Amino acid sequence: MLSTFTTMDLYLLSPMILLFIFSLVPVFTKVLNKNNEPSDMMSLYLPLIGIVFAFIATCGIILIKIVNGAPKLIFSGSIMVDGLAMWSVIIVLFITFFALVLIKESSFTPKHLFSEYVMLMLNAAVGMMVVAYSNDFILTFIGIEMASLCLYMLIAMSEETRLSKEAAIKYFVLGSLASAILLYGIAFIFGTTGTTQFAEITETAATLASTSRLFLVGCVLVFVGLGFKVSIFPFHFWTPDVYQGSSSPLTAFMAAGIKAVCFAALLRFFATGFLAVDRASGLVSTIQWLAVMSMMLGNIAALRQNHLKRILAYSSIAHSGYLLMGLLVVGLSTNSVLGASGTLFYLFSYAIMTIGAFGFLSLFEKSENSMVTVDHLKGLAYRRPYLALVISIFMLSLAGIPPLLGFFSKFYIFSAAMKQGLYWLVIWGVVSSVISVYFYLKPVVYMYMKQEDEALVGEFKDSASVSFTVGVSAALIVIVGLSSGPLYALIRGSVLSLF
Amino acid sequence: MQVNDMLAVGLNHYLFLSAIIFSIGILTVLLRKNLIVILMGIELMLNAVNLSFIAFSHFSNNANGPVIVFFVMTLAAAEAGVGLALMVTIFKRFKVVDISIFEKLKN
Repeated sequence: MLSTFTTMDLYLLSPMILLFIFSLVPVFTKVLNKNNEPSDMMSLYLPLIGIVFAFIATCGIILIKIVNGAPKLIFSGSIMVDGLAMWSVIIVLFITFFALVLIKESSFTPKHLFSEYVMLMLNAAVGMMVVAYSNDFILTFIGIEMASLCLYMLIAMSEETRLSKEAAIKYFVLGSLASAILLYGIAFIFGTTGTTQFAEITETAATLASTSRLFLVGCVLVFVGLGFKVSIFPFHFWTPDVYQGSSSPLTAFMAAGIKAVCFAALLRFFATGFLAVDRASGLVSTIQWLAVMSMMLGNIAALRQNHLKRILAYSSIAHSGYLLMGLLVVGLSTNSVLGASGTLFYLFSYAIMTIGAFGFLSLFEKSENSMVTVDHLKGLAYRRPYLALVISIFMLSLAGIPPLLGFFSKFYIFSAAMKQGLYWLVIWGVVSSVISVYFYLKPVVYMYMKQEDEALVGEFKDSASVSFTVGVSAALIVIVGLSSGPLYALIRGSVLSLF
Repeated sequence: MQVNDMLAVGLNHYLFLSAIIFSIGILTVLLRKNLIVILMGIELMLNAVNLSFIAFSHFSNNANGPVIVFFVMTLAAAEAGVGLALMVTIFKRFKVVDISIFEKLKN
């Protein structure tokens, strides 16, 4: 088959291409500048402008799709341009923009290697976008590897010399193990279906799932491999250590970015419908238990933590559990729109909350070995009332208190699960949300009701970039939270017309 | 089915071989302490997968398998590069290439 290739296809990929071209600007300037670190203009502002361009291109693609429905599958069917891909790309661009804004001021960032740092970050973002776009298992694998390889190096490049190196090695070993398992699963699916493209797997998935054991083994291995990357319950143990060892902006980038695109890949994989047959019912109940365990374990382990970054790491495991609920709805129902739009909305709001929460953490990370605990926040409301207010907004939103964004994202995912008849799963979800309120409210209580501890109050460096990021994400949480209906309708509409 | 089909090497033989190699790789990664040996285990796993890709595509006359293998080989090389670079950093800092020194992140 001769594959045709038009300018339109290139335009549909332009966010990726633009980001890649702009990622080369800092290193090229550095080389041409006799290996001296280029100015902020070249190494920071130009890449930021590139992200804005990519964002505008993405919005343009969405408009074109709405107006005249451009081709869905391009490049011989290996690239899918649909609502899921476009919204995941928007999430990735959002998180990359703010992580890049924060990273310049972070005390962990190597100043003499800053342009390489920016290049690696943008390339990791390109890898994530490849995953979002891909309609082919091999492309998904390549994208995940591209993002992960950049992230291993980004973590290891930190100025801090002990924890970051340990985190990088841990992430590298477990990440490579997960990639190999994912690839083994892909091999089995390729062997049984004869293809690696999701659209073609969908045609045979239901019959194969009830006849071929090898196909089901392949599906389980793929789920395990991707489950490692998004830290679902039995594969979560690396998360707290790795998050703790990397600088806060980077943690936000990896927590929200990798999670968003891997869940997008899982959505496409679950939408092939291999779970909807009788033979897979054991698998369905296993996945349900994994969701319950992720929610409960993440929230209960966070109760015992005092270290803010580890609290957020355990809470990210719990959030994976909620998202898994949305995935199950997609896997079980014949119409995947409800589950897919709920999951996408959750990923979107999780990205906003994560960048805000880790953004304020980077204010407290002054020295290389600082461990920010809840005690550091004591009495903050009297010294810094505005900062205390936005931290409370993040915490309340993560806990899911109405009318903030976090409540509505949970609401949409729970209501999708209710419509699918997963009642007891929803009950577990609500119970674990109630448990989580305790540790999310603890910092708020410490800020407003405790006297400050003189020993812990240190120098407090103000930074415009952190104020900007934290302010924007807090404003988004409140505004999008109050008007969540229109945004959800928009996501639902684009998933409906494009999925 | 002819009798000498029993003696011919078929798809299942390749899959068993690949499963055995994959398991050896996984056990290496999980049990060994030396980082270089762990990296070898990861390479072993990826090559076991390559073997099953080739076997599947040979026995179903599907030309996609070898193409996928080239992608995987490239990625394995990139991964080995990054892994060895990380090990050099670790060695500079701790003077060993071993994961037993990493017991410190536990609170």
